[in-house]
Amino acid sequence: MSETETSVQLAARHLTRHFTMRTPGRIFNATHIVRAVDDVSLDLVAGEVVAVVGESGSGKSVLARMLARIVTPTSGDLVLQGSLIAVKSKRSLDYASQVQLVLQDPFASMNPVHKMNHNLLRPLLIHGASKHDAPALAEAALRRVSLEPPSRFLESYPHELSGGQLQRISIARALCVQPKVLLADEPISMLDVSVRLGVLNLLRGLCDNDHLAILYITHDIASARYIADSIIVMYAGQVVEQSRGTSLVDEPTHPYTQLLIASVPDPSDPTKVTPPTSERTQVEIAEKGCRFAPRCPHVMDRCRQEEPPAFIVGEKHTSKCWLYADHQAAVEMAPSVRRKEGESATT
Amino acid sequence: MTTESTEVGGGVKSPPTTTAPSILTANPVVTLASESQGLMGERILDVRDFSVDYGWGEKAVRAVDGVDVHIDRSKVLGIAGESGSGKSTLVYAITRLLRAPGVIAGGEARFNLGPSEEGERVIDLVQASEKELRSVRWSDISIVLQSALSALNPVVRVGSQFEQVLKTHRREMSKRERRARSAELMEMVGLSEDRLDRYPHELSGGQRQRIMIALALALDPQLVIMDEPTTALDVVTQREIISELFELRSRFGFAMIFITHDLSLLTELADEIVVMYAGVLVERATSRELYEAPRHPYTLGLLNSFPPMHGDRTELSGIPGSPPDLANLPNGCSFHPRCPFAMARCSNETPSLVEIEASGRSVACWLHVGDAGVVVPVELSRATLSNASTSEPVSKVAS
Repeated sequence: MSETETSVQLAARHLTRHFTMRTPGRIFNATHIVRAVDDVSLDLVAGEVVAVVGESGSGKSVLARMLARIVTPTSGDLVLQGSLIAVKSKRSLDYASQVQLVLQDPFASMNPVHKMNHNLLRPLLIHGASKHDAPALAEAALRRVSLEPPSRFLESYPHELSGGQLQRISIARALCVQPKVLLADEPISMLDVSVRLGVLNLLRGLCDNDHLAILYITHDIASARYIADSIIVMYAGQVVEQSRGTSLVDEPTHPYTQLLIASVPDPSDPTKVTPPTSERTQVEIAEKGCRFAPRCPHVMDRCRQEEPPAFIVGEKHTSKCWLYADHQAAVEMAPSVRRKEGESATT
Repeated sequence: MTTESTEVGGGVKSPPTTTAPSILTANPVVTLASESQGLMGERILDVRDFSVDYGWGEKAVRAVDGVDVHIDRSKVLGIAGESGSGKSTLVYAITRLLRAPGVIAGGEARFNLGPSEEGERVIDLVQASEKELRSVRWSDISIVLQSALSALNPVVRVGSQFEQVLKTHRREMSKRERRARSAELMEMVGLSEDRLDRYPHELSGGQRQRIMIALALALDPQLVIMDEPTTALDVVTQREIISELFELRSRFGFAMIFITHDLSLLTELADEIVVMYAGVLVERATSRELYEAPRHPYTLGLLNSFPPMHGDRTELSGIPGSPPDLANLPNGCSFHPRCPFAMARCSNETPSLVEIEASGRSVACWLHVGDAGVVVPVELSRATLSNASTSEPVSKVAS
């Protein structure tokens, strides 16, 4: 296996999750389907941060939970280090130790009646560390997230620590079991502004020094630009634009990305005006055609009829919009993963 | 009576240990502004030496300590700070919405009710009785809270919530007029009238926050307080709501106090910004000045905590350490354990807010005050920050 092939730790192919919901206000239990995540493919590579940006309801958290196998996909495949995972089966302990999830709210993700000692040792013991080794491993994990001295933190209760410290401990707890992939679902949005960068720098450091593959989920596109090697923008369950590096932020092509970036407060430009959206308050998601069409300022007839494919708009930069219909359509993302899929299918 | 003293220490729910003048004897009511107190003129709210405690006696924690803020008619005052800095406590106390164990430990909050035939009518919100407050709240000062879902009554249709406000404060309105006014308010914030028949849970977060704004504007207040109105919303909705707010403000001319932790948003929309840290004001400046030349190291750190949207990607440091515990504040300047510029003096003496420019720009930091008490303007920039962090600061005290 070549170097590039081994570096893809976790690959998702055409991941889809639909939820069946009761339609309100109707008798006879009428239901409709919410397409929370639709056909999302991505690669998490060792030593790289992939950022997923989207507003609330865009399906980014469902995506993270599918990757962690807490939510079962409706369809699609997961490939962990080259081996195809049976997504409908029960998650194995080994998968859990390879892929760890860090949640948004650090206050809610720790057991409040136990000291950190308990909170950190539990995953270690579950994953087979001996009682003798576990405390040393927990201390080592705390040192990795720059909490010194570890003994002080092991003896504290969650309420005695600040949000930033707790989020570092959440990351340490995830690192305890030596995962290859870290999924961080909005890890900084609940933290104080002044400590956010510290946590972002920590994630970046884990990626650079320990070659972790990190998925960083956020609604803050500026932080995605700061930390990520590649950025994915989701809207209504679909990937609308993705790019390697920051070209997506510097030269956004999809109208939704443009709207998102124009909405970010930018004190360096006091004359900034809001771009018009065709509807002020209704956030409609089209059933047919492009899902962003009802809000799109550039909407065309074609957009309401046909769903656009992803077009290649730049180097490793794709945009799912009919405005770029004269560009070449993107077939598959990374060639190395195609090989991987073929390979895993044969084994 | 008009010259009735409004001595500090007169909280209504003052701790029993302090000698507070009772509301019964002080009887401030609505007074006419007199020479001794100073006329308010364009100033709509003048808060002086305002302190708020949580708890009583020995265990009291000072959440707001001697804060002075003021706002003029039709202006936007931004209050920036992290959680626990006291920014929300300050406005809840000013509007007297603060619940026990929060108590006003001192200070005055004079609100200008506008001119009348006899002169300017002024009310001290700290001393006012519940009855007086009821006449001021909503019609003169209204508030928009962060979480619209918990601020709206979940079991009552939106329309009835408008009804209740109008019925209570505008007795003369008929049912038909109330409905018409509600529809007009909804239209003002870009919602269609049929939303009045919905329950709050049927609406999106952005729509609920618009309803909160419409409700706040229902009685044409002079001052609207916004407590993190857009924090729970995504950026696109935030941008829509902010631009709508400013359109409404230019139409109706109300003043706004805007509270948020997002300094980059504030620098865009406020006229003047005050920055709070651990219950005290550390800097006051116009938003341009604050963005272009922050004077307090904390402000500089906050501004540097937002990754930029353009330019090269460089590593930013944010602010080291964690926000302080109010019950256990460090000696001297509360910020010194996290400050890259900390000097020996910072750990012993607390700097007070001093004016460093004639424009009213103030900062509470020893960097700007010489030994003789002379104000020395010091330029803080990203460059000076990196220099300071490389050279070991003098006597940096670990928390």
